[in-house]
Amino acid sequence: MHRTDRNTAEIESLYRQHGPELLLFAQAVTGERGRAQDAVHQVFLKLIEKGSLRQVVDKKAYLFACVRNAALNEGKQRERNAPLDPDAAWFIPPDRDYAGEQNLRRALEALPGDQRQVMVLHVWGELTFSQISDLLDLSSNTVASRYRYALAKLRDSMFAKENYCANS
Amino acid sequence: MPTLDDERFEAYLKQFRPLVPEPLPAVEPSLRARRAVALGAWAAAAVAILVLGALTLHIRTNRARIAETAENVGNPERLQDSQPLTMQSANALMAKAPSFKAMVDGMSFRSQAVPLPKGKRSAVAVLGKEKVKL
Repeated sequence: MHRTDRNTAEIESLYRQHGPELLLFAQAVTGERGRAQDAVHQVFLKLIEKGSLRQVVDKKAYLFACVRNAALNEGKQRERNAPLDPDAAWFIPPDRDYAGEQNLRRALEALPGDQRQVMVLHVWGELTFSQISDLLDLSSNTVASRYRYALAKLRDSMFAKENYCANS
Repeated sequence: MPTLDDERFEAYLKQFRPLVPEPLPAVEPSLRARRAVALGAWAAAAVAILVLGALTLHIRTNRARIAETAENVGNPERLQDSQPLTMQSANALMAKAPSFKAMVDGMSFRSQAVPLPKGKRSAVAVLGKEKVKL
């Protein structure tokens, strides 16, 4: 197989493997599914064109960094801190728990942007705090601290709402 | 619902799987492949232009030949079939014909059955009577 074809196949395989987490992360950054999708596509198409992932040691972290840059650059061209799209689903819920999905999405939406990014990167991107600190150019302690705050807020937000719904 | 500890809450969150992104748009061929395609297209265009030019030249040359032949056929300098070949007409042809070939063509295929008018002699007959010393 030609070298370029091998690279393309490898990049397409990475897209299939990490695409969902990258898309979710891009959504957490941009707040909009369409823009998130564009950012992810842009990254992968550039990678295919250049065919240069051989020298990257931590490919997953690299992909998250690329998607973040693409999403931020794209966001700069439009508007900063765009509000999240309230209707577009972000997740495939377990057992068709669409209410739970909406609940989670709204809880994520309520988080500050930096905490939301850390949350998505750690829980769904499965990056370590060290990887996230490199990616966001923060110390590991800051990342861990943001994560703890985010987790607590998310839990409070989700279950307070559920308790409220159950009581009413 | 009881408050979950961090690990269980994380596990609960992970049950929500992120949506699968849309497939990548059609992947463009690599730069090298694109260059090869462009080069091939240019080469094909150049060959097509050359072939077209050669064809045009060939057609024009053929037309010129056809026109020349038609001109020669309808040339008033050419002797009529009914007109006998005489020294005078041969000299006239030699003087006016554009080329030796045209002159020979003009004199060829004469009908020898046509009787000569009075006072005129056939050039072939004259030449046949001459004694050529070699």
